[in-house]
Amino acid sequence: MSAIVRVENLHKSFGGIVVADDVNLSFETGEIVGLIGPNGAGKTSLFNLISGVIPPDAGSIFLEDHRVDQLPMHHRARIGLARTWQNTRMFHSMSVIDNLLIATRRYPGESLARILFRRRALDAFRQEATEKAVALLERVGLADKMHEMAIELSYGQQKRIGLARTLMSDAACLLLDEPMAGVEGQAYETIIRVIREEAQAGRAVCVVEHNISFIRDISDRTVFMFNGCVLASGSVEELTRDSQLTDLYFGGEHPQ
Amino acid sequence: MEYILTVMVLIGINVVLATSFNLILGYGGLMSVAHPIFYAIGAYCSGLLAIHLQIPVPLSILIGAGIAMVLSFGVSLPSLRVSGDYLVIASIGFQLGILHVINNLDFTGAAGGLTNIPVLNEGPSRSLVFVLLIAVVAACAVLLVAWIVEGDYGRAITAMRNDEEAFSALGRNAMNIKIVLFAIGSGMAGLAGALYAHYFAYVTPEQFGIFTSAALLTMVVVGGAATTWGPLVGAVLLTTLPQAITFLGLPVSIMAPLQGVIYTTLVIFFLFARPQGLTGGSRGGGGLEAWSASAAFRARRDAE
Repeated sequence: MSAIVRVENLHKSFGGIVVADDVNLSFETGEIVGLIGPNGAGKTSLFNLISGVIPPDAGSIFLEDHRVDQLPMHHRARIGLARTWQNTRMFHSMSVIDNLLIATRRYPGESLARILFRRRALDAFRQEATEKAVALLERVGLADKMHEMAIELSYGQQKRIGLARTLMSDAACLLLDEPMAGVEGQAYETIIRVIREEAQAGRAVCVVEHNISFIRDISDRTVFMFNGCVLASGSVEELTRDSQLTDLYFGGEHPQ
Repeated sequence: MEYILTVMVLIGINVVLATSFNLILGYGGLMSVAHPIFYAIGAYCSGLLAIHLQIPVPLSILIGAGIAMVLSFGVSLPSLRVSGDYLVIASIGFQLGILHVINNLDFTGAAGGLTNIPVLNEGPSRSLVFVLLIAVVAACAVLLVAWIVEGDYGRAITAMRNDEEAFSALGRNAMNIKIVLFAIGSGMAGLAGALYAHYFAYVTPEQFGIFTSAALLTMVVVGGAATTWGPLVGAVLLTTLPQAITFLGLPVSIMAPLQGVIYTTLVIFFLFARPQGLTGGSRGGGGLEAWSASAAFRARRDAE
């Protein structure tokens, strides 16, 4: 196994609040890492740091041996970092399929010149991208919602579209922020299956989730964060056996 | 007859201005109110080139539009760092700053305005020819914007407006799109200004101030932000309405402030009652959604 994402000595604080305190982590090829910890532990902040939403105060982030911590967000995404958001962040005035089409790795619609002068290449792209988007929507079980407005679907359905959207770019690393929130029944199995398949295809996956049984079901390794620090790493069983960690998880905000 | 033709010229120019403003504000969601300054830059640059360098008028018009396009970096570059309400303030600063310069330079005619600008065309049917020209330009402006915002590029613009951070996180470069939208929109405003200057042969700094920003904003909001025909409808309505009021024969002390009152009242009314404007569909408002009362309501409902 080789590291797809490597985070070294990462620091970030907002005033007095430390969201990353000397974080060292790596996500390997084909690995599914579960990231757990109480609210405010710095899980989403870590995603924001890796994907480039916020700049780190110190430390470095590597994506397949390229140092990326100084690159703008869109550049990191292009070379292989894809993420979802806790609150789905659908493009609200767009249909489901359009939400996916935006996410293709080399989206030609970004350049007016290309639209003017490369019409044929554009048509070929559009067909290919549409086929890919439809196939992904089928995988997450939402192909029939393709032409509906993304914002009008249920929260759980939006979560699944968000997952499909990140898969459009064939990114090497997937950062999934609470993919299971609001998801129930059949869709639960679907998401687990899709995430596993993507890991088997060689991607590194990191999942933030409060649903511990989901983390147990899916992750190869679980990382426990608290107050911006990585406290422990291992299987869910190993972590839950540690009474100190469970105390922090359930009562962390009011230590006795 | 001449009066009607002159009003038609004004309508055409306002259609170009409102349509290009809609590209930036409505579709792009880029909250700049500095649009009239590019109108001014086009008018002054083209006028000055024709007066002092004797450049042929059609050429100076194109150069004027080009300069407006280039100077749009003055607003598009700050927009890469600030957005929303902050961009409004930055753009006002840019607008008033340049206006202040124009107001105080001798060679621009200072506060008295630039006079004796060579006209584009002469002859007995000069106004009629100009009306036809401006109609063609306005039609091209509407079609150009409609072409830009459809298809793959339009999808990117919409996504950027909806959520710039999520857009960037998918590998899309919002910076390029902002620069292009400002350049095209401002270039069109510069073209409108240059045409204005070479028809009326006279421009003053006060034509390009905040009042004009408010007027253009009203046209876009009333017509329908982020719609193809909205700015056209808005420009026609809000150019003819003030003209119609002049026939009421009210004293100047009432007339002058009345226009401002009408504009602001219309903007507030539409943002509350019909954010999609006269021509917009059920979901609309484009970049102005964030300002509209129904969006505030929606946000509150979604948060619950």
